[in-house]
Amino acid sequence: MKKLISIFVLLVSFAFTSNSYSKTEIHWWYGNSGFLGDVIIEIANRFNESQDEYMVIPTGKGSYEDNMAATIAAFRAGDQPHYSQVYDAGAAIMVAQVKNGVVIGFEEMAEKYGIDVDADNYIPGIKNFYADGDGKMIGVPFNSSTCLMYANMDILNEVGIEEVPKTYEEFEGMAQKILDAGYIPLLQSHSPWIWTENFFSRHNLLMTDGNNGYDAVPTKTLFAETEAFVYHWTKVKEWYEKGWYGYKGRAWGDNQAPFTNGEAAFWFGSAASFGGMKGVLPNFTTNPIPYWDSVTDGKEYPTFIGGAANWILNGHTEEEYKGLAKFIEFMGSPEMDLYYHNMTGYAAVTKGGIELAETINFYRASPYHKAVGDQLGLEGSTIPGGYRAGNWPQIREVIYENVEPMLNGDITVEKALSNMDKGAAKLLKQFAKTL
Amino acid sequence: MKKVQFKSNYSQYFFLAPQLLILLIFLYWPIIQTFKDAFTMQDAFGFGSQFAGFDNFLFIFSDPSYFTAFKFTIIYSFVITLITGSIGLLLAVQANKVMHGKSAYKTLLIWPYAIAPAVVGVMANYFFSERYGLLHHLFNNLWGFNWYENVFDAYIYVIIAGSWKQISANFIFFLAGLQAIQKTVIEASIIDCKSNIRRFWTITFPLLMPTTFFLIIINITYAFFDTFGIIDTTTIGAPGSETKTLVYKAYIDGFKGLDLGSAGAQSIMMMIIVLVITIFQFRYIEGKIHYN
Repeated sequence: MKKLISIFVLLVSFAFTSNSYSKTEIHWWYGNSGFLGDVIIEIANRFNESQDEYMVIPTGKGSYEDNMAATIAAFRAGDQPHYSQVYDAGAAIMVAQVKNGVVIGFEEMAEKYGIDVDADNYIPGIKNFYADGDGKMIGVPFNSSTCLMYANMDILNEVGIEEVPKTYEEFEGMAQKILDAGYIPLLQSHSPWIWTENFFSRHNLLMTDGNNGYDAVPTKTLFAETEAFVYHWTKVKEWYEKGWYGYKGRAWGDNQAPFTNGEAAFWFGSAASFGGMKGVLPNFTTNPIPYWDSVTDGKEYPTFIGGAANWILNGHTEEEYKGLAKFIEFMGSPEMDLYYHNMTGYAAVTKGGIELAETINFYRASPYHKAVGDQLGLEGSTIPGGYRAGNWPQIREVIYENVEPMLNGDITVEKALSNMDKGAAKLLKQFAKTL
Repeated sequence: MKKVQFKSNYSQYFFLAPQLLILLIFLYWPIIQTFKDAFTMQDAFGFGSQFAGFDNFLFIFSDPSYFTAFKFTIIYSFVITLITGSIGLLLAVQANKVMHGKSAYKTLLIWPYAIAPAVVGVMANYFFSERYGLLHHLFNNLWGFNWYENVFDAYIYVIIAGSWKQISANFIFFLAGLQAIQKTVIEASIIDCKSNIRRFWTITFPLLMPTTFFLIIINITYAFFDTFGIIDTTTIGAPGSETKTLVYKAYIDGFKGLDLGSAGAQSIMMMIIVLVITIFQFRYIEGKIHYN
């Protein structure tokens, strides 16, 4: 018994010593897993080694949705982390929480604690996506991706196609050849993100009323009434029936797998997707996502930022926020930005990072990394660089629910899109009531 | 029996307190919270909370995918109950006849019961994978199986995934039920009737009725509530929302969509549904069962 007690005392004292390291702890929750999660841990480790006053403790909570739910639950229980990664679809919810004192905006934080990275340091498209109606940056840009087209060059060479398609019209011209050679011409991994949200941004079209929610709380989506969008899905359905487009369900990986295994010519995925393909698929390229020439008259527009930002949560001590400010500064440095860009394929988010990449000729060594910056850096859009629509995670679910019956012919394209509009309008109205 | 009289009027409360506390914290508190959520409108972080009356209920009733989930849940629990019950019974009857290696058969048949639903879902995922799934290839050769878009095929997928494990539970209880039947009854029936099948349906099966009734309730609650992990690891409700159970839909709306009002209203609807089913069963079916 005495032995047991002494072991217990020993354990307790260990627990206390490791906790009271005299360092200020900063908790950072994230929603990436696998390799991307490892990179996040590495970033925290590097920061912790770079100084000894503060300690950033990263905790993975599963997927983006899981992390958001966990963060909210923790906040409601008064146990929230300092810093949490919330994805694009949750941005409207987080920005709306500034007035409730849940979230501290980046600019407010920068001013108060003298962060040496100001908002203008982030590239405009990314900055605007996480800003409020007045253009004040709220979320801190972190893993910023967009959808890209991956092309298997071996297949294209085999069927005698020299250039990857820039437009969907060009794709239509080559799809049958690819199919005849025994390959799936096209796959994509996220119908709401790639072929809905970013269809609108790529073609410079408004997706919701209220100027995508930037001017007024949106009340409806403009799916069925946007002619180009109806046209696009009519075409997609046609492709599906001809075998030009292969649908492998909702799971991201199920749609990616045939491409990674060399069975498909083109796949639309995230800028951060190539990690798993390098070394598996011998000869592939990353390219901007195609657009309909007939819709934009040959012009190209930038897509929305995907991925996630980090959000500063209220309710902690001055000292802890000072540490967090140091950490934000650390992550915003050109070196760390480029490190993250290089490791993951996510876009470089700071001007300093981009300059550094150019000075060291980074893109010559690694051409995979280039497309994301090219596509996000396009100019000439007249629509906002994002959308501020609440309940968006559920609206994505509504989109999915209507894509499948549309593809299998249960409902027409028009019916599917108007169903999406109806479902979305109800959810937007519901969200507006809680504001 | 000796009666013990406590002098204090309060000591019984003291002994009851731990259990009551557990009930209070883990049962009544969440239920009250659910009612609160169902009748208020609030944002994800709990701000802007205001009394909403029946708005949340009207919201789910005007949602076509809620009715799809309702329809699927009813079909799913009916089919799962039928399949797991009949296969479990068949296996139990056969295992009961075996003379040699009885316990080996039993152990092997009971094993799947120990596997968590989510793990069963992941295993089913392999069998139905388009790339290397055995069952996918088998069905694909038979009729062009594609669960990504075909509702019937998706049903087959989740029904097989959901039944497999539950067959074991049915097997255990049926086997126990069979072994509890008195030998004398069986022997007497052998003298009276030669047909194995007739003897089963007129003597053995009626004597198994209490077990069957119990298993029907267990299977329905299983299909209603415990298949969550299976749906989440197999079809995630696709195609459309055709394979979402009511529990899964409440989870998606509450935790992924962060709409607690709607999720609360859905939970209350589920409570009502289960209540109705249970009352119906005890009222109209149990009366027809003879326990002795």
